[in-house]
Amino acid sequence: MSSNHNHGIHHATYQSIDEEVAPGLHKQLHRQHVRGTLYVWALLTVGGILAGLYLTPILMPHMNSPEGRAAIETVKVFTVAAAPVAALVCAVAIYSLINSRHRSHLDSPPVDGPPLRGNALASGSWLVVSTLLVVFLLFWGLTEWASQQVVHADALQVNVTGQQWLWTYSYPAQTVILPGGKTLTVPKAVDATTLDLPINVPVQFNVTSKDVTHGFWPTQLGIQGDANPGVNDVLRTTPDHLGKFQVRCSQICGLYHAYMYTQASVIPDSAFTAWIAQGDAGRVLTSAKITGGVR
Amino acid sequence: MTTTQERRLEDTVLGSAAGRFYRHQNFGTGLLGGVGLGFLLWLLGEYTVNNNPNYGTDMVVTLTMLGWVIGFNLGVGTFNAVLHWILGHDQTKEDELYAAGVGQGKSRYWKYCTDHKVVGTQYLILVFVLFFIGGTLAMMIRTQLLTPNSSFLSPQTYNAIVSIHGMTMIIATIIMVSGPFANFIMPIMIGAKDMAFPRLNAMSIWVIVSAVPPLMATFFVGGVNAGWTTYAPLSVQDGPAMVCFAFTIITFVVSVTVAGINTLITVLTMRAPGMTFSRMPVFVWASVIGGALGLYAMPAFLLDMTMMVSDHATGTSFFVSAQGGSGWLWENVFWIMGHPEVYVILIPPVGALMEVFSTFSRKPMFAYKMIIGAMIGIAGLSIMVWAHHMFTTGWAPDLAGPFMLTTELISIPTGIIFLCAIGTMWRGSNWVRLPMYFGFLFIWNFIVGGVTGIYLSDVPADDYFHGNMFVTAHFHYTLLGGAMIAATAGLCYWFPKVTGRMLDEKTGRAAFWLIAIGFQVTYLAQFYEGFKGMPRRVANYDPIFAPENVVSSIGAYVLMAGWIVLLYALVSSWRSGSIAPANPWSAKSLEWQTLTPVPLENFLEDVTVVNDAYGYGERAELQVHAVFGSTSDAHHGEGH
Repeated sequence: MSSNHNHGIHHATYQSIDEEVAPGLHKQLHRQHVRGTLYVWALLTVGGILAGLYLTPILMPHMNSPEGRAAIETVKVFTVAAAPVAALVCAVAIYSLINSRHRSHLDSPPVDGPPLRGNALASGSWLVVSTLLVVFLLFWGLTEWASQQVVHADALQVNVTGQQWLWTYSYPAQTVILPGGKTLTVPKAVDATTLDLPINVPVQFNVTSKDVTHGFWPTQLGIQGDANPGVNDVLRTTPDHLGKFQVRCSQICGLYHAYMYTQASVIPDSAFTAWIAQGDAGRVLTSAKITGGVR
Repeated sequence: MTTTQERRLEDTVLGSAAGRFYRHQNFGTGLLGGVGLGFLLWLLGEYTVNNNPNYGTDMVVTLTMLGWVIGFNLGVGTFNAVLHWILGHDQTKEDELYAAGVGQGKSRYWKYCTDHKVVGTQYLILVFVLFFIGGTLAMMIRTQLLTPNSSFLSPQTYNAIVSIHGMTMIIATIIMVSGPFANFIMPIMIGAKDMAFPRLNAMSIWVIVSAVPPLMATFFVGGVNAGWTTYAPLSVQDGPAMVCFAFTIITFVVSVTVAGINTLITVLTMRAPGMTFSRMPVFVWASVIGGALGLYAMPAFLLDMTMMVSDHATGTSFFVSAQGGSGWLWENVFWIMGHPEVYVILIPPVGALMEVFSTFSRKPMFAYKMIIGAMIGIAGLSIMVWAHHMFTTGWAPDLAGPFMLTTELISIPTGIIFLCAIGTMWRGSNWVRLPMYFGFLFIWNFIVGGVTGIYLSDVPADDYFHGNMFVTAHFHYTLLGGAMIAATAGLCYWFPKVTGRMLDEKTGRAAFWLIAIGFQVTYLAQFYEGFKGMPRRVANYDPIFAPENVVSSIGAYVLMAGWIVLLYALVSSWRSGSIAPANPWSAKSLEWQTLTPVPLENFLEDVTVVNDAYGYGERAELQVHAVFGSTSDAHHGEGH
């Protein structure tokens, strides 16, 4: 067979070729490979970290709540944490491509490489580093998750109902005692098809559905929960930036899933009170005051 | 075996009992049988159960699908051997050789054939067909999304296409390596003459073929509205298309289960002398682990879909909350299947890719035991992560922490795969042939897929990204950019062995660049859509997302063009490429040490394995993977 005549070359092992030709070349080559790879790695790591820090805020929209900003922070931090490892993998691959010793003779196999079957130091440190990274990711995630589970003594109740294919928001009659001691009163129950939230007032969404499962996703609040029939899913946040954004359905719910979105606004609490008291007339009066655009 | 001997055997086989009915069975009689029995049961349904006001239509469709699946398999001959056995006259030696395809030339590819190489080739063709269908549907989706308020497709058609694109691709990717290569290559790799259960093997391909028409039938009975995940109660509300969809899955699971058991038993019992577990090539391990994981995962899918058919056709209410059921039940059982399934897809191609890395770097597998351990670790962890798909569903919020933990833990064994890949490349000779191109592409894509995966494993971040295009881009990076690209590397690697021809690498490289660039453009744009907040599975969208959707669609067209060029290269090389030598890559594993085309029962002499298949650069005696015949002279064993 055609492969047979190659075997003479193959049986000459890697070390014997290098070390017979020039003693010491083996070690020198090794050092050269490590140095070359390190340069590529350093370059890529810096690139990855910079991208994580400076690209993330550009890619993601302005957020109107701490939960939303937590999502941005997580992407930033995880990118930075992953960058050195990802860069190392890329660096070895790129370096081995650049350093390919066999570009001109593609038709026959090149001489064998060194028979490295493992390296306890490399494998061990890889395991340690990746485990530490996972512990860090987990610590980060659980800390943030825990900070989002804080239940405020009193919160504005908003009942969110999904149905094919619209959202209804009802504000039951209630008096909310705000953290500073002030109160916010909804004198009588109001139903609305847009979501308006007073700034800096803790809010509790009680999410349910009349038919199939929908996904309640007030995008720039960074929270999300399914609207399941027969279930009350509780979501909490405190919007702390004025602005407008969309509530979108994030769970495919049939024919007009794409059209199941509504306008949402975070407005000054005076504007909120005016709207609650006066209905839509109040909204027109106050909407001019709202700043911050949709991204 | 000489040509004369071969011809004499063929004459004996073809001459004996020629003209018996079952020797005329093929794909065509399968279609006749399926349509015939399907029609009969449809008639039966029309005249008996159709008057039920609530479930009539669904019952009739259930009966029709049952008729199709059973009729097709009766027609194509899936149950012949079993029927013979039950009726009391076992098959003769000639019958068995006939069933193995002796003397039937190309027509055996259209028949129930027990030769594992024929079954592997049949799988390969089926995978091409499925990818072509799935890809075409993807192009329709991207065409719809070119403009924000496009009316190229109606919302109903759009949802139907999104659902069937998803399921077609899931089925295709599950079988893309475990079908063609675990059948064709894996038994040769361990020095076996065939799979342990050749008839079950032939059964697995024809059962899965019969699963495809019901999937396509969904388009003609209203379409599936609920995406490939078919969350209840929406999917219960759906029409009879959901019954067809469920039948596809039920039939598919039967096939995957049979194939998985076959792979396991083959590796456990059919290895050549000397092929110890620690000498088994990584791809063999990957096939076993993938197959075993499938045996765990797929029954859950069968169960979920059986309950779904039951809700549709008999009025049970497993998933209807108003009647005591729960959509969360569907979601849980679905993802108990659905997350291990990701690794059922991923592990076999990664195993194939590791063979590529070792062969083309001309180096032994780096940290062989760690990569086997990593694959086992991934499989074990993957059964404990399912609820990370359900962080935002409201189900069991207290489990967010534990599922975040298991999900992030899985990145440790996944990282080891990268370690082994780069360790194998490190200071290697790097023979940059077409399989290596796809290998490098895999590394990049899987890094992106992996890193974006850790964002999604984090609950506070998932609360923003869940259900939006970011998720779509993420899993396309892992499954298409990762698994499918690795499978393509494997395909280019084994193409000369499977087809007996060399692949046209010039055209292949052109395809590679189209695929590599088209892919990045398509899915980086979709990441951006996700960052900005565009939901998944929408037929129309807010005009603020317009620019990146145009970019993504253009990328998708380039990507599809790349696949079509690759398909052209594959088909034209298969028909008229230059004849491949037995071992074009000078690789060491057993499939390269036998003749091309591979003879029936694979080896002409007995095989004894003496080392692992990765002795590149080692001392001469360690370079020999196996010896052939009764002699133990290493040089004798190198070729034929």
